[in-house]
Amino acid sequence: MNVVMLEQHYSHLQHLETAINAFALSVTIDAAGAVTAVNTQVIAALQPSDGPFTGCPFTALFRPAHPEHWQNLWKTLTEGKPVQEQLCFLINAADTQLWLEAGITPFFSETGAFTHCMLIGIDITERKLTEIKRARNEVYYGQVLENLPLGLQQFSPDGDNMDMNSRQRQIWGKHHAFFTQPDYKWLKDPFYRLNGLAGMFEEARKTGKTIKKEILLSYREKHHENITRLYPVYFEATIFPLTDQQRNMDNIFLILDDITEKKLSELSLQKSERLLDNIIENLPIGYIQFDNFGFIRRINQTQRFFFNSPHPVSRQPFNVMNDELATMFELDKLFVQALEQNKLLRVEKRIDFSQDKRWTTVDREVYLDLTVFPVIEPVDKEMIVVALVNDITDKKLQELEIKKNQEFLQQTGTIGKIGGWELDVDSGQVRWTDQSYHIHDCPVDTRIDLEKALGYYTPEARESIEGLMRQCIETGKPFDAQLTIISSKQQVKRVRSIGQPGYENGRMVRMYGVVQDITEQLEIRDALTRNTELMRLFFDTIDMGYAAMEKSGNLNFLNRKAEKMIGHPVAMGNNIFEEFPRLSGTVFYARLQECIQQQASQSFGIYFPGVDKWYDFLLTPMQDGGISVFMRDITDSRKLQKELRKANEQLSNLNKNLLNQNKQLEDFAHITSHNLRAPIANLKALMQMHNEAAAQQERDLYLGMVHEVIKKIDETLNDLVEVVQIRKDVNVEKEKLLFAERLQKVRDVLLVDIETSNIQITYDFDDEPVIEYPRVYLDSILQNFITNAIRYRSSERTPALHLRSWKENDNIILSVEDNGVGIDMERFGNKLFGFRKTFHKNKDAKGIGLFITKTQVEAMGGNIRAESHPGEGTKFIITFRSE
Amino acid sequence: MSLINTIFIVDDDPIHQQIAKIMIERQAISSNIRVFSDAQDVLDLLRENAGEAQALPDLILLDLNMPIMDGWEFLEEYAVFQAQLPKQIRIFVLTSSIDEKDRERVNAYNFVTGYLTKPLSKEIIAHLS
Repeated sequence: MNVVMLEQHYSHLQHLETAINAFALSVTIDAAGAVTAVNTQVIAALQPSDGPFTGCPFTALFRPAHPEHWQNLWKTLTEGKPVQEQLCFLINAADTQLWLEAGITPFFSETGAFTHCMLIGIDITERKLTEIKRARNEVYYGQVLENLPLGLQQFSPDGDNMDMNSRQRQIWGKHHAFFTQPDYKWLKDPFYRLNGLAGMFEEARKTGKTIKKEILLSYREKHHENITRLYPVYFEATIFPLTDQQRNMDNIFLILDDITEKKLSELSLQKSERLLDNIIENLPIGYIQFDNFGFIRRINQTQRFFFNSPHPVSRQPFNVMNDELATMFELDKLFVQALEQNKLLRVEKRIDFSQDKRWTTVDREVYLDLTVFPVIEPVDKEMIVVALVNDITDKKLQELEIKKNQEFLQQTGTIGKIGGWELDVDSGQVRWTDQSYHIHDCPVDTRIDLEKALGYYTPEARESIEGLMRQCIETGKPFDAQLTIISSKQQVKRVRSIGQPGYENGRMVRMYGVVQDITEQLEIRDALTRNTELMRLFFDTIDMGYAAMEKSGNLNFLNRKAEKMIGHPVAMGNNIFEEFPRLSGTVFYARLQECIQQQASQSFGIYFPGVDKWYDFLLTPMQDGGISVFMRDITDSRKLQKELRKANEQLSNLNKNLLNQNKQLEDFAHITSHNLRAPIANLKALMQMHNEAAAQQERDLYLGMVHEVIKKIDETLNDLVEVVQIRKDVNVEKEKLLFAERLQKVRDVLLVDIETSNIQITYDFDDEPVIEYPRVYLDSILQNFITNAIRYRSSERTPALHLRSWKENDNIILSVEDNGVGIDMERFGNKLFGFRKTFHKNKDAKGIGLFITKTQVEAMGGNIRAESHPGEGTKFIITFRSE
Repeated sequence: MSLINTIFIVDDDPIHQQIAKIMIERQAISSNIRVFSDAQDVLDLLRENAGEAQALPDLILLDLNMPIMDGWEFLEEYAVFQAQLPKQIRIFVLTSSIDEKDRERVNAYNFVTGYLTKPLSKEIIAHLS
């Protein structure tokens, strides 16, 4: 080997080393397994550990993932065989996986001893880990698919079976041609062509789309007591093609999902719904279904017929909560009640459709048996209300009719004591109603034959009834006879026996009729006759006219006294207005009509001026519709009464006067007590204080106060004297006075005050200009009112006073109306006319004026009152009593 | 004898107002005596100060026969709100009336402490405290 060749060789080796260093890890390991050299790729791979690596055991730096395998491998190397394989090492502290596509070449000494080996490895970690992950995933998904509860099958685009999972194998069954016939072409199998599965496959293949359908896949056999039943098995089939990246159809998958249970229950639900629907539609009673707002959703045939409506759709929207008729018959309440209480309600309703043509044309009263209950609608899960409507009108009417008849029978039977009987002509058996047994005093349900029945009659009666019955049998002639029986209790009874024949096919087979106990009736009739006599006697003895008459006035009975009052004998049946003409033009007719209409007694008096007589009348309605007339001559008592009333009035006046005087006395005592005791008490106190006072100055003060008190007592006494004078002076002289003239005089006296206050005084005495009255009093009264009107004028307006006189019930009235501050009548009304009563803060007020006025008015028998509204003014009204 | 903080004399008669004031001052049972001619003013004062015990009197001498608002009206209106007052005010009716009916009528108001007839005397005043 020459140098040039050697150099070329060396250069070649250097290139090779550079190339190796560029992409591969290179490690030299000695025979002891220690690293003798590494390249930069190794240093980079082992980071973050930094050298020196030489001298380290190789397996410390590169920990074999499978140590045993490494040992075998090392053995192979020592034997001189190079190794070429993918190896996994764990490096770093974190045991990071490092996959190497490694080539390890052993080197030997000339003696043939293993000296070292060299590992050249390419890092394939990334590729390897991805591969491992994918492999793991494949297993995982494979398992999932295999164990899916759905059947999954893979086909080639030609339809050849390629793979399927366990569920799919289970669905097909191990005997299916897929597993038993190697060349099975299922797409040609007529069964799958028929059930549509083959068609789905072809469609998916053609369009590339996912096709989903429910299909009947097979029949399942079930054995039960020697009978084999076939049940259809339904699946939801999904067929979808998978395309590769070039959009070529790779595989076609079939997924089968068992929906038999669901399908069957759905079918059964549909079936029962149809059935229910059918039942509801054909129910012999009405069916109305409401939603929970009260709108009708459905009506069945019976109800439609009742509503006279061809189809519910053609009806206007009806809402039970918003309908006049429904409200009137409280159907809305029923609806709400059923919803709220969530329970079934059953009621009978009588609904009058005669006024309402909107819902039905039955045009009459209808009895309905209504059953109303709430239900959860199975599909929408909404609460709905169902009403079952049973028209029970016929039944109800029949019931009522029967009840009425029964009651009627019962009533007539009991009241009229009427029993029924029936004779079977052939057998001689007799049937009695309960009342017949009662009439004969025989226990109910005792067996009765003809002989026994006839045995109750007295011999004579029996003879006649036998004759009548014979005649009836022979000629068919009904009978009606009054006969005597002797009852089981040996009571003699009078009965009315009525009988008639009953035929069947033209032959008389029975006889039936009634037997009525008329014993009492006869007794009553006897008693009535006797009573009438007694009545006549009674009415004749009473000191009062009595007449019984019809509403028309036709007389049925008249006692002697009445005849006497009328003045002549009266024939029964004649009219009272003809027989007693003086009644015409009086209140008698009007009161008679009132008596008839109100069915109430009327009492009134009539004066007959021609004869100067007072008659008192009492009209009383009688049960039989007639009218009883009682009349009394009260002329004498009337005259007495008039006198008595007069005496009474006088007494009452006297009493009133006495009361008045008493009242005045009481008032006076009160006045004295209140108005004199107060200053006297003050005097007492002041005297005591005076006596106890030490200083002269103090004593002088008390004396001054004593004087004031005495002055006040003096004033009070003067006022009282004036009042007493007025009261005493009842016969004060009266004269004819003109209101206008007296008013002018008073105005003159009060001129200054009137001008200062600017009060406007107006009057209207036109109706009653004159009065007979004591002049001093009238002047005093007028002066007092004007003074008051000035004193209590309102600062808000010009003061005004209006006086007016007129007549009322013979009395002269004077009103005096001002526009002053007014008086709170509710509060001060009772003090208004009191002695020394004031209710204004006006310091001029002494509380005496109105007291004097009242005294002056009352002394002459009149009275005074006031009307007032605070802030508006006051009106005094004086009534001067006429003589 | 204990002191009464505030006494109200309610009477329209100016002479009696003076007499009562002087007599009570002489007995020295109260340092604060106030005189009212109109019961309405007292009623207004009581209503306005209903929440303040300090501003209320401890005793009222009330006349019956007065203009505007008389003693009866006062008692009637006072009855409505007296229970809500922060302290109990002793009320004595002091009147010249010796009418038994008046006394009975006053007794019907259980918040009235006593019925006294005029004239006021040392003995009566001593009785007040």
